[in-house]
Amino acid sequence: MTIKSFAYDNLKKLCLSLGKHNDALYAVLAIAMFKGIMRPTFTMMDKESDKDTKKYAAFREGLTEAIAFCSYIATHKLILPQGVRLAKYVNKNRPKELPNVSVRKVQNGLSLLSVCLTAGIIIPAVCNVVLKPVMDGVAKVMNKNKKDKTQKLDIKENVVQNVTVPTVYSPKLSENSKKLLAMVKTPVVANSSMKVGG
Amino acid sequence: MINTFVNAITSNTFQSIVQNTDACVKIETGLKAVGRPAFTLMDKHTDKETRKYAAVKEFIYQVLCFGIYIAVIPPIFKKGGFKLAQKIFKKEGLPAFKNAKQMLAYHDLAHMTPEERLRPDQKIQKLRDLITDDLVNPKDNNTKLIDYLLGPDKKGGLHKKTLEKQGKMFELAKGSIELSSIIGSVVGLTILAPEISHLILHPIMNALHLKGEPKEAKSPEEKTQILDKNA
Repeated sequence: MTIKSFAYDNLKKLCLSLGKHNDALYAVLAIAMFKGIMRPTFTMMDKESDKDTKKYAAFREGLTEAIAFCSYIATHKLILPQGVRLAKYVNKNRPKELPNVSVRKVQNGLSLLSVCLTAGIIIPAVCNVVLKPVMDGVAKVMNKNKKDKTQKLDIKENVVQNVTVPTVYSPKLSENSKKLLAMVKTPVVANSSMKVGG
Repeated sequence: MINTFVNAITSNTFQSIVQNTDACVKIETGLKAVGRPAFTLMDKHTDKETRKYAAVKEFIYQVLCFGIYIAVIPPIFKKGGFKLAQKIFKKEGLPAFKNAKQMLAYHDLAHMTPEERLRPDQKIQKLRDLITDDLVNPKDNNTKLIDYLLGPDKKGGLHKKTLEKQGKMFELAKGSIELSSIIGSVVGLTILAPEISHLILHPIMNALHLKGEPKEAKSPEEKTQILDKNA
């Protein structure tokens, strides 16, 4: 079997199976998986930021997409079996004139609902809860490693002992100036679990 | 209550949405545009202004993703993918449909019972209207297909049992449209959308007078916010 015919057969099989039954889960899983690979890769390729920052950002992006990927699968696995029960229950109480509800159709419908529930509620909620403590831990570890490295590099010989710190006089501000300064201050998006995209 | 719910999720409209990658991704992106900013606003770890900034940024990012998706995926990947499949699967007896829309109309009708296909319903009428057009090659089996679907000989028509044997070409074409839509979604939402929104997002945020990024970040978590603009 040549590579061409192997690829052709597999592509045909894949198209036939997607044509027969396409689940809402397939597309969202593919998106989450590729985002989990591509976004950290792009972040690591950014030449403007330093290595630690890139590592931190890439880890956070990867983690967000890993949470999304796992949430989609977990919700799907939890909700889909309920389709069998639901179909049985409905068919039991259904008038005899009406045709029975197909389990496959109920499961298909529940599959889309599980994707909606996960995308709209579960992923942002889990990210809000999980991302901040995990990333705080990562930041601590990174800072510790950085300190260890700088301590190793510290040269104690010929250290200037008495460094005179120039005194800085802060100007006295009028009430109006203080108000103006407060208006200029912008919110700092830092140390939070909130991120854009994903 | 449960009966109504089950009837709704097993209806033809809902089922065709489930089988359509394009519709599923649009719904998912739309929900992200609502859900993520809402949860960002609910996050009590940060102050009000920061939450507001992050929520607006997230909302605009998701809306941009949605727009980019609509602009890029159906015209390029859905149509292109179908044409490519027609070339690749020439041997499989795929009829020379004019476009993906026409093929999907055939596909949808093929999945209905013969009685449903002839029902005086507006949506079904639209599908029937599409299949009255000639195929690209009129010598192709257009008449045969119309006979399968709407012909007088309903016993020999294309329904459930015959679909398994003779309808593989429909499944193949439908599958190739879905596959190219999945590929398009991945390319659109993981490569194009972040890059394009990176160019558009910040001017919009500036126009809205919303500035929230630290100018001199020191710790990695602070600096990440600067990197986030690449998201």
